[in-house]
Amino acid sequence: MSKLILAVPSKGRLMEQCADLFTRAGLSLRKVGHVRGYRGEIAEMPEVEVAFISASEIATYLKDGRVHLGITGEDLVREQMSDAATRVVLERKLGFGHADVVVAVPACWIDVRTMAELDEVSAAFRREHGRPLRVATKYLNITRQFFTAKGLSNYRIVESLGATEGTPAAGTAELIVDITSTGETLRANGLRILDDGVILKSQANLVASNVATWSADVTAVRQAILARLR
Amino acid sequence: MVAETARAFAALERQAQVLMSRFIAAGHEAVSPAAIQPARYFLDVVGESLRARTYVFTDPDGDELCLRPDLTVPTCRLYLERDADAQLPAKYCYNGAAYRFQPQGGDSTHPREFRQAGIENFGDPAREAAEAETVALILDALRAAGLKGEQLRIGDLGLFRALLKSVDMPERWRQLLMHRFWRPDAFRAELKRLVSGANQSIDAQRRALIETLDNTDRDAAQTQVAAYLDAEGIELTGTRSLAEITESLLWLAADAKAAPLSAATAALIDSYVSIRGPALEAASQLKAIAGRSGTDMSRAVETYEQRLTLLSATGVNLKDAEFSAEFGRNLEYYTGFVFEVVLPKLGRASPVAGGGRYDRLLRQVGAPRDVPAVGAAIHTERLLAAINGDGDAT
Repeated sequence: MSKLILAVPSKGRLMEQCADLFTRAGLSLRKVGHVRGYRGEIAEMPEVEVAFISASEIATYLKDGRVHLGITGEDLVREQMSDAATRVVLERKLGFGHADVVVAVPACWIDVRTMAELDEVSAAFRREHGRPLRVATKYLNITRQFFTAKGLSNYRIVESLGATEGTPAAGTAELIVDITSTGETLRANGLRILDDGVILKSQANLVASNVATWSADVTAVRQAILARLR
Repeated sequence: MVAETARAFAALERQAQVLMSRFIAAGHEAVSPAAIQPARYFLDVVGESLRARTYVFTDPDGDELCLRPDLTVPTCRLYLERDADAQLPAKYCYNGAAYRFQPQGGDSTHPREFRQAGIENFGDPAREAAEAETVALILDALRAAGLKGEQLRIGDLGLFRALLKSVDMPERWRQLLMHRFWRPDAFRAELKRLVSGANQSIDAQRRALIETLDNTDRDAAQTQVAAYLDAEGIELTGTRSLAEITESLLWLAADAKAAPLSAATAALIDSYVSIRGPALEAASQLKAIAGRSGTDMSRAVETYEQRLTLLSATGVNLKDAEFSAEFGRNLEYYTGFVFEVVLPKLGRASPVAGGGRYDRLLRQVGAPRDVPAVGAAIHTERLLAAINGDGDAT
């Protein structure tokens, strides 16, 4: 009988929160073999194989169907799959890992409070500087989709893999799209979220892959896990 | 994606020869622009949204390149490589692959790799004649390939620009409406905002500052803005200067002081945008609108009629042609006349050919000034499917 493969973040606060989640459901999530290993099990459900995977890669595993279920942020699902609705099902919001993906501009841009005002300024900026506004972000696809929906085309994305909130002050971007939980880091960097600039209110989700192989056995295990996590 | 069979390949090649021979006979020189292009030209013209449907990649030197999503920009660049100052008119034609990302990996009407056969006409000052010639040549080539039962759809972005010029409103509002024209929802919202009083959208927090700004004295206004930032404890950071921020606040101030757009003007604009019907009958509706606006609009309507006359003279049957005021809204680089050839069985989302006027594109890719340009391309896989009768399945 084939096992259901469940992907869980391999370290940090997210891994702890996942362990708590299973404990509350009466399930014990634990590693198998070496403590630094990447395989695990749920003692009460031998038909489940747990794969501890870096949090940023779980969405890719789900997208390719290499795991059946995974715990990952909605932001990463939306970013890494242009066709998320066909590839995966967001089964449960898990109530932790909260983070908003937001558009933030320098607080001194008192002329820009909305995406529509940003749109107007983008044209003036281009005339003045001879180049489009630069948006620093690691969320290339989410940013593009949101800006397109808001009608903005006069901008250029600058990929940023760390310290994104520092880029406007450093002069390497004009504004950013990034995650924030309390907004404190943004304020500390002299940035303000646009009034209609919350793109996604993300949190950790239990996600099922539609492209994984779902035998009758594995499907039954999926139902069992969902029932326990109710 | 469906693999290409040897038979489909041979049929496409034969069809391309028919299309190209018509283009060449009409005086277009056959060219083969590069498939790999610097991404920045497309990003400058289309914007960042291009990346969502184009294969953009970085080469070993770190340069950002793309697989061409169409052949118009590459043909513009080829023209400027030959004639950097765009001094001589030129007419080109091509048949080659274009590449677009399709979220589901593509299907037979929306493949990720498809061949376009098309024509471009650069530097011809007789605009309407060049437009009519382009439509006529595309229709002629389609028929030579064996197509029947096609329908022509036309639009004209010049009409909308002229209408805005003809009615009374601040120049900035015209730019706003023109800019938002591409997105119907945002356009309607903007029109509503201007009618209800543009200052309604300014929040109370900033209103105090904006209403006191001195828009006759830029230096004084800048001092006021600096004082406001100081009082709020906001530091000036980033690449936009205090002058730029002040300038944009002064626009908001001007909006707040301007009289709202009259309901009659908004209704006139609405009535234009909703025109859609037989191209020949649209002329009288356009004239009625011109009668209620001004001379710019009257002239644009005359141009519209002149173009219809020229189209008829080149043998295009306009009886079933449709005009839509909204058509052209979602096409990025067109500036005036636009057209599409559609088939009932393929539907409007899958035109078999399309094109129009794009007078600003050559400048955007490096010409020293705007150059009149009109062109069109045929989606050759769709054409072949339509002729073979495969179109019904999709």
